[in-house]
Parts: sequence; structure tokens; C-alpha cells
Amino acid sequence: MISVRNLTKRYAGHTAVDDISFEVDRGEIVGFLGPNGAGKSTTMRILTCYLSATQGAASVGGFDTFKDSIEVRKRIGYMPENVPLYDDMRVKEYLHFRAQLKGLRGRSARRAAGEAMDTCSLQDVRRKMIGTLSKGYRQRVGLADALVNKPELLILDEPTNGLDPNQIRQVRELIKHLGERHTILISTHILSEVEMTATRVIIIDKGRIKASDTPQNLIRRLHSSGTVHMEVKAKPKQVIEKIETLSDIKNAIHIGTSQGWSTIDVHAFSNVDIREQLSSLAQEQNWPLRELYRDTASLEDAFVDITRS
Amino acid sequence: MRQFFILLRKELRSFFLSPLAYVIIALFTFLNGWLFSSIVTAMRMKVNQHSLVYNLFDSGWFWMGYFFLFPLLTMRLFAEEKKLGTLETLLTAPVRTAQVVLAKFVATTILYIVIMLPIFAFFFLFEDITGESAAFQKGAFYGAAAILLLVGIFNIAIGCFASSLTSNQLIAAMITFVVVVLHYFLGFIHYFGAKLPAELLAKVTYFSTVEHRHLFTEGLIDSRPVIYYLSSAVVMLFLTHHVLERRRWQS
Repeated sequence: MISVRNLTKRYAGHTAVDDISFEVDRGEIVGFLGPNGAGKSTTMRILTCYLSATQGAASVGGFDTFKDSIEVRKRIGYMPENVPLYDDMRVKEYLHFRAQLKGLRGRSARRAAGEAMDTCSLQDVRRKMIGTLSKGYRQRVGLADALVNKPELLILDEPTNGLDPNQIRQVRELIKHLGERHTILISTHILSEVEMTATRVIIIDKGRIKASDTPQNLIRRLHSSGTVHMEVKAKPKQVIEKIETLSDIKNAIHIGTSQGWSTIDVHAFSNVDIREQLSSLAQEQNWPLRELYRDTASLEDAFVDITRS
Repeated sequence: MRQFFILLRKELRSFFLSPLAYVIIALFTFLNGWLFSSIVTAMRMKVNQHSLVYNLFDSGWFWMGYFFLFPLLTMRLFAEEKKLGTLETLLTAPVRTAQVVLAKFVATTILYIVIMLPIFAFFFLFEDITGESAAFQKGAFYGAAAILLLVGIFNIAIGCFASSLTSNQLIAAMITFVVVVLHYFLGFIHYFGAKLPAELLAKVTYFSTVEHRHLFTEGLIDSRPVIYYLSSAVVMLFLTHHVLERRRWQS
């Protein structure tokens, strides 16, 4: 659906996107992650034909974003960052206008606007002026605009930016639902969101692609997941000595003691799960054990690890 | 073409559903009405060889209003869209930049015509009430209407261009104001003590609205100013189009 080859975008004295290449297949939900200023929005703007590339090429559905920009624009629904909207229009009127602009006529434009309002739960505010809407509703109007002509590809730039947790959850559900019918490229800071919705994640930093994989695989790459926390009622020094005699253990660190319970972090080599060994040890030594859990790395850890290196 | 009409309708709607259009229409109808009655009074006091149509459009006061009208009409066209970011949603929809520019230009021209219509109503009211003719020949009305339309088209195109240059409406308004004023005063350059060679002075004043309006309000529709205003407007719109397209130029 999307094909980006050696794309570079330079502004005076600064390279926003530096020779990136990636593909997005039909039906994928791809999360586009990166710190602020990494080049996500610039890439999205090139894909939506708003900007041109300095070098390289991008195509959507087989059409070049520079040479066949109208054909590309017919196939995408784009929601820019900060959701720019006409404040002096009513929701229904705006969506009808946008549906017409995207090539739908008469009754079908009206029907499309109605369906987009249903999908984004906007029926309650359809007669309201956009300028009077709350941030959450504005975001949904932007989303409804992006999908009003049922485009093959949705490009959403920070769709949950500035929303409260309830609204984020609603938008996330909506994106999941939309993913059944559309290919989606979504950029966001909220990593848990991508972890739950995206089938693949592309991490971009300083204009370059640092990683492209499924969220699960990215997390698996992290070594920190070998850490196990345990709380036992025993002398910490004795516990550490015993633990370090086990195989696969890198080291054990005493974190603190409270009312006789010692908290210890045990680091294993690579991704070995050492919980079984530790519980057997506690049983052997007759240490009362009240907590034993393995650190699970999140996409956030993967993101920090990848963008820092 | 369909996209053009959709955009035109949206522009007209945002003009006529905002108070700004009505404030401008009311203000200019009032000012022009006041000027009209002053000129009728002046013509009663002193014998005058020209018609009412000629005298009204020859008045510097009438054109003074123009200095403010065009910045007001055009400042928001692109500057507001840039500021709000809606230019991005607009130009990532399957529409051509030329359609966007033309729709905004035509919508503003329509609003301008609506603002100017009451002046012609004044003339017909005058003729109806007094039984006197406001112009010596019917052609003077057509000439006056033509020159107002031509100057309007030209100045609106300048305003479009100025508005496309910035996201600040005030700056857009200032640029339009300065260009409109400078263009108007080309015709008065000799009053300001400009020591230009006679040949150059004649050329400079030839481009000025002052010269053209004398001919047109006497009923003489000269094709040279028509071509001058229309082609200048086309150049301005072409430049506007290029300013908006600049972001897509490949280096």
C-alpha cells in the first residue's frame, strides 16, 4: 500500500528525514514512533502529498506522491497533528463539505457524512459549531473527516494527543475497529496504544529508521526482561550468597529490608526465566516467600533502548 | 470544475455567515451614500460640466475607501488557513491548488460586487426621484461598472497574493494596503514634486487608475486598461498559486 524508497527531506541547514525506506502492506496497522522532531510528521506530510521529498520517492497504492498526487490523495484519509478544522462550520456541514471535496456527490456525500458521524459517535453534536466543541470531539471530527470517503489508507498524526484517558480508550477502540477495513499508519507518543493496536511498529529517530518489527519482537529484543524481583523473610546477605551459587545468575542486588522482609533484584543472563529456580531455593532454605515476579519489558522500554543507542 | 464550485460555495458561505461581510457592506453603503449626497449638494451649488456618475467616481474620497476595503476583504483568505492549519487538510484533499486559489478569488469578487451594488441603486433612485439623468449617456454606467469591476479584480488578486505570503492577517492587510495606495498614487506622482522626465511620467501615469476612470466614467470603454487589469490580476493569481505550491517543489 505504501512504498517509501530512500526518502530524504532537507530544510535549510537541517535534515528532517534522512534516507528512509519502508513498506506498508494492505491491511496492516503500522505504528510510527519516535521522539519529538524525529521526522514522523514530515514523512506523513510527504506521503499525503503536502510536501515534496528532497530525494527518493514515495508511492501510495502504486501512485507516486509527486507525479500522481491527485490519485494518491483520493486514496488517503489524513488527520494532521492538532486537527485543524473550520471553527465556523457545524459538524454535519463540515463533514458533508469534506465528503463532497473528496469526490462524493449528492445523496452519497450526505450518507457518507452520516456514517462517519455514526462511526465516531458524533451524532449528539452534529448541529454544533466546531469552534464550541471540546478537544475530544474535535479529535473525533478530524478522524471522521479522514475516513468520510472510506479511503484505502488512513494516515493519523498523533490522533490521541491531548485527550483524557477515557477519550484515549475510545479513540483506540475506534482505530482497532477501523483497522478491520483500512490500512492505517498512525504516529503517537502513547506507546501502550501502539502496543495494543499496531501489527507492526516503525521506530524513527533523527530522521532515520531505527527499528521495524512487531511490538512483541521489539520487546523480546530487550535484555532487561531477565530481571526477577523477590521478597523473602531472611537475611539479605545469606540470600544473595545462596542465589549466586545458582546457574544463569549474573548478580543479585539487595534493594531494602522492611519488617524482616528483604527485597532482592536478581539479574539473569539473557532471557532465561529463573523464577522456578528461585522458588525451589526458597523452599529448600525454608525462607518464607511473599513475592516473586519477572520484569516484563514494555514497548516503552524498547523505545527508550532503541532511541538512546 | 465540480471541486471549484464546492470550494466557492464554502467560501461564500463563510463570508455571508460571518458578521464581517455585513459590517463592510453596511459601512461602505453608508460612506458611499454620504459621499453621494455631498456630491449632489455640491453640484446644486455650482455649475458643473460633468455628470453625477463622473463626479462621484472622480472624487478622491470614493477611492479612499478602497485603500481599506481590499485589505479587509482579502487578509484572511490564505493567512487564516495557514494559521489554523486548515490549508494542510484542504491541500491534502484531492483538489488542485488552482481551484482553491480561483474559488477564493471569485468568492471575494462576488462579495465585492455585492458591496458595490448599492452605489448603482443610488443613481437609479436619483433618476427616479428627480427625473434628471445621472449620466449623459447610458454607456457611462457600463463604463463605471466596468472600471469598478476591473480595479476590484486587480486589487483582490493583489490581496490574494499578499495573504498567501504570510500566516499573519495583519501583515497581509498591510501589504495589500501599501500596494493599493502606491498604485493609486501613481496617477498623482507629479503632484508630489517627482522630477521625472516627461516621457517616463506619462508612462507611469498611464498605469494609474486615475487615468482610466476618467475615460470609463465618460462611457469610453478602452480595451487597453481592460487588458492591463485582467492580465495583472492573472499574474498575481499565478504568483499566489506558486507561493502555495512552493512547498511541493522538488529541490
